[in-house]
Amino acid sequence: MKRVLNVVGIALGVVLWCAAHAADAPKPKPVINPPPTAKDWADLSKLPDWSGVWNPKITDQDAQVKTNMPPWNAKAAELINFQLAEEKAGRPPPLFVNCLPEAMPAWMLVTHNSMEVLFTPGRVTLLGESDGNRLRRIYTDGRPHPEDPDPTFHGHSIGRWEGDTLVVDTVGVIPQALIAVSEAAGVPNNGDMHITERIRLAEKDVMHVELEITAPKVMTKPWKTTRIFFRQRARLYDIVEGVCLEGYFRPGKDKDGNDIFIPVQHAVGGNRVPPK
Amino acid sequence: MKPLSKKVFTSAAFIGLVAGAYPVSAHHSTTMFDRDNVIVLDGVVKELHWTNPHVAIFIENAAAKPGVPEGLWVIELTSPGNLVRSGWTRSIIKPGDKVTAEVHQLRDGTKGGGLRKITLAATGQSYTYNIRDSERPNLEEDYKK
Repeated sequence: MKRVLNVVGIALGVVLWCAAHAADAPKPKPVINPPPTAKDWADLSKLPDWSGVWNPKITDQDAQVKTNMPPWNAKAAELINFQLAEEKAGRPPPLFVNCLPEAMPAWMLVTHNSMEVLFTPGRVTLLGESDGNRLRRIYTDGRPHPEDPDPTFHGHSIGRWEGDTLVVDTVGVIPQALIAVSEAAGVPNNGDMHITERIRLAEKDVMHVELEITAPKVMTKPWKTTRIFFRQRARLYDIVEGVCLEGYFRPGKDKDGNDIFIPVQHAVGGNRVPPK
Repeated sequence: MKPLSKKVFTSAAFIGLVAGAYPVSAHHSTTMFDRDNVIVLDGVVKELHWTNPHVAIFIENAAAKPGVPEGLWVIELTSPGNLVRSGWTRSIIKPGDKVTAEVHQLRDGTKGGGLRKITLAATGQSYTYNIRDSERPNLEEDYKK
């Protein structure tokens, strides 16, 4: 019995000692983004030339509403058919009128605005001309996705180069983000969406974004679609500021003559309410 | 017509309720405009809102026609960026300008619409836009011609 008590006493002592010294244990080093080397910058010149500004082929977006509808499940199909009927009847479903980001994958699927693509060491950045100046960060430094990423409008994207094709994998998109087939028809992805993209130049000045979208809450199987963008070098195409919320307001003056924004009324479909 | 589920109606009604209760913003499709028909406004520009996501021109229509009442109309266009690429600037149409505007009127018959073409009376110069006309690369080569 005495021997048992001795063992228990020693074990208790070890536990107390460990607890007392836990604060002294070395902390794991933070993972950092290392400063790029001269070679990292030089290696960027080996990537394909995606400079310029890229505007979307909207007529192909229009056409795919009829030729390449996602494999919706029954509930999602019902909603899409309702929206398409409403649009045909001239009652636009108010999908993007709240000016929240079009988000992924709707940016790639139905945008009417231009974008540009920037390469920096370890990263590809897409900048667009809407929402309030939209932005996607695609990490190409070999990192994995976080185990449980915080949901965001554009999700968490990692990319790798396969020759001249950028292969992008995106998870962690908010469930409210629409899988849209037009500005007036789309279904919230409802969570667990996974998007892969193969982005490449199909011709010297034509970019193809080949998407495969898996959205088990609203589609019965993965959906593939290719979206087309054209390169422009005219400075008229330089990306300009596009703050969507500006449409909430009109310029005006306060009682002291200061320039201010004055809220304006809009109809359900998003257009300004006409004067009486 | 196939009956729609309660949920579809419920969500549509909810969106409508929210949208009706507050001034919703303006990034929208053009479905609300009657794109199959064109009306003509003749009048004076009162205001130009060169704002994202849709520029607006306010026109005091002087000549009433059947279904096209006199008074102040608001005509919407695409974004400033897209208009610039169609040859517009924010100063080509100014308050006080006499204009003729070809418009796709709002389907609800109120004094609003989407612009098809606007012509300045003083110069005869017309401006239009169609973002689907830009669907080829290297448009800068067109500008050089």
